[in-house]
Amino acid sequence: MTAGHARIAAPPPSTPPVPSPAISVRGVSKVFGTRRALDDISFDVPEGAFVSIFGPNGAGKTTLLRVLATLARPTSGQVVLQGVDTKEEPDQARSLLGLISHAPMVYPDLTAEENLLFYAEMYGVQDPKARVDELLDAVGLAHRRHDAVRTFSRGMTQRVAIARALIHDPRIVLLDEPYSGLDPYAVDVFDSLLSDLQGGRTFVMVSHDLKKGLAMCSHALVMAQGQLVSFQAKDEIDAVAFERLYRQVVGMGVA
Amino acid sequence: MSRTGGSAMARSKDKSVKLPDAGGWQDAIAVPAAIAGAILTTAGFLMAFLWAAPVNGAAVNGFEMIGDTVVTHQQLISQKIFYFHMPAAIVSFFSLAMAAFYGIRFLMTHEQRFDTCSRALMEIALLFVIMTMITGDLWTRFEWGVWWTWEPRLTTYLILMLIVIAYFVLRNAVDEPEKRATFASVVSIIALVDVPICFMVTRMIPSSVHPVVLREGGMSFDMGVTVLVVLIGMLCLGHALYRLRFRSLRLRERLEALKEILDERPMDNPFSGGLPAAVSPVAVHEARETGPKTVLRPNGEPRPNKGKIRSEYPTCLLR
Amino acid sequence: MMQYARPKKPSTWQHFCILLRKDLRREFRTREMLTSMGLYALLVIIVFGAALALTARDIDIVSMGGGLIWVLIVFTSLLGLGRSFSYEKDQGCIEGVLLVPMDRSVIFLAKAVANMLFMLVVEVIAVPLFYFFFMTGSETSSTFLWIIAPLVLGTIGMAGIGTMLSTITMHTRAADVMLAVLFVPIIFPLLYACTTATTASILGSVAWMDYYVIPLVIAAGFDIIMLLVCWVLYDFVISS
Repeated sequence: MTAGHARIAAPPPSTPPVPSPAISVRGVSKVFGTRRALDDISFDVPEGAFVSIFGPNGAGKTTLLRVLATLARPTSGQVVLQGVDTKEEPDQARSLLGLISHAPMVYPDLTAEENLLFYAEMYGVQDPKARVDELLDAVGLAHRRHDAVRTFSRGMTQRVAIARALIHDPRIVLLDEPYSGLDPYAVDVFDSLLSDLQGGRTFVMVSHDLKKGLAMCSHALVMAQGQLVSFQAKDEIDAVAFERLYRQVVGMGVA
Repeated sequence: MSRTGGSAMARSKDKSVKLPDAGGWQDAIAVPAAIAGAILTTAGFLMAFLWAAPVNGAAVNGFEMIGDTVVTHQQLISQKIFYFHMPAAIVSFFSLAMAAFYGIRFLMTHEQRFDTCSRALMEIALLFVIMTMITGDLWTRFEWGVWWTWEPRLTTYLILMLIVIAYFVLRNAVDEPEKRATFASVVSIIALVDVPICFMVTRMIPSSVHPVVLREGGMSFDMGVTVLVVLIGMLCLGHALYRLRFRSLRLRERLEALKEILDERPMDNPFSGGLPAAVSPVAVHEARETGPKTVLRPNGEPRPNKGKIRSEYPTCLLR
Repeated sequence: MMQYARPKKPSTWQHFCILLRKDLRREFRTREMLTSMGLYALLVIIVFGAALALTARDIDIVSMGGGLIWVLIVFTSLLGLGRSFSYEKDQGCIEGVLLVPMDRSVIFLAKAVANMLFMLVVEVIAVPLFYFFFMTGSETSSTFLWIIAPLVLGTIGMAGIGTMLSTITMHTRAADVMLAVLFVPIIFPLLYACTTATTASILGSVAWMDYYVIPLVIAAGFDIIMLLVCWVLYDFVISS
């Protein structure tokens, strides 16, 4: 609703479409001692796709997302984001990435505007003031810009978090269970924001909610015990078989 | 980021980082070392009392009042404690230095094995630091008549003991193994840097309560030999204890790994046809530990990764 | 809708300024650290008052003053240092900062400088208070103001090490206790040197070189070595 009239998405860049996939994961493992959080994961995500990651607790979903976000280092293997190797050029990879997680990553004692300005300056956004205005309009918080974030509801805080993640116009947006703790109204707002965002961006979302995750995605990725169980485009998915698979995987639970 | 990134890269290119493990020559010499250590330390004990000539104990610069006693030169049997105090101190500092070395190795490679080494060495350091503290304190009591004095060496070892204890408290307070190992390594390195400074500070800044202990003319021949014998003995003992401890830690790690494999219950796995009956968890564990083996892979075909459910799910655990 | 230009990565110095400004602004807004540290310092002084109530006439407060001032500073800074990362952790802000393309050691420098500034502000209030409560009746040396040098050197080192250690302890259970357990033994050499120099400047006269200059040189050396070590190791700690 509030988000309807303004768009967050910058126009897609005028550069010709790159043939390389947006996200290319090659043999990524994360091992510590004998504990394998991720075990030889490989997949390619085409530009503009929306990937939902499903799996039981402890399957390594969040670890995979953290590896994609360069917050965790894989023990072996390679992650390439739009042709940028995260290990060789972490800074360039980071400038392509935005992460929205269930923690809002904003300072409750600063105002919404100050938070966004801080991150805008950290990313080196050109003309940070204008960008912050634009984003505050887009998430419908322009009227609360001078209020400390601690006075916001959970849904509003999450909207600030979205604006924070998008401040540098990332081409790849990672979502780590963004719906946890949101009330139904905030979920609606969040949904409309996400659909507004999609112009040419690539999304990867970790989700507990099978129905919602499936409805939103263009590709579904299932993980169990640190391994990739299946990675399919949505139109190839047989809904019934997929749900059975999901139940089986989730049923396995944490080892 | 570039530093850590770089080291990790080097590692992934060079898979052959040599990991310390239980077994091998270090363990082979552990038992002889323990026996030699016991013999040498006992010999040193006898030598200290029977052979090494009694010497002037501590000589203090000038006259010092410590407690109610005026301390100048005292020729006391308590000086014998020195033959055990100093070697224990050297061994403890050596263990600390080795622990910090493995801490650096850990930070470079992020291999849990190095953290295990570092931790075992820290435990040895703690043991010898406590021995140093006890002998040092006894010595102060008998030579100077007070239970505690803020003498540079004692102070330094008190601080060292507190840091080593803090190291273990920290280890207990972190749940995630990788974080725990990183923090522990960092603290071991800081400890190694801190301790010499601590000694220098207490030594260089004169103070009314810090008598500077001088040993006139170094050590005589018989003293030197005795100290050397005990030192070698204690180094042998330290080595044996370290290997023993490292071995038990390693066994525990491997046991945990086996439990984990058993917990995964490959037989119930919906994606597998079950493991071949011959494949025991031990074999699985060995395969994991020693790297890729083809033995356990039933079919030679490349593993499908995309668009298809894996059929040989458990075997891919083994790589 | 504005035409969106790609971001230009700010320099390390700019990152430092932005991070520092954020910490200062937050403190200015909440005054959380300064009030809690200031009040705590006052409380410690009151405890001193009770502890010394019977003996204050007999003992030579001038020669004890230097030590007591450092007791005050160590405990007060422990309180502030423990806080400095807890609010970064609460809402996941530290991860937000780690997502930014930057040299991560800057986080250490900015945080250490912020902590140092807060500690200095508290000292500017607490040390005169201490003087007011305990030392106005006794005669101090003309070199009293020389205590500024050991105070500054001590604060630099304690802020640096404290920042490093509080980054470690924010991930632990019972973070405050853990910080104290690590902090006090590790800063012991610095504390020792600074206490000696402070006492020397309050007392004046005696062996100026031995009791003032050498400790200060050692304190400065400790600061440099430890800050370098922390700066090198910080990347590992924050990225883990």
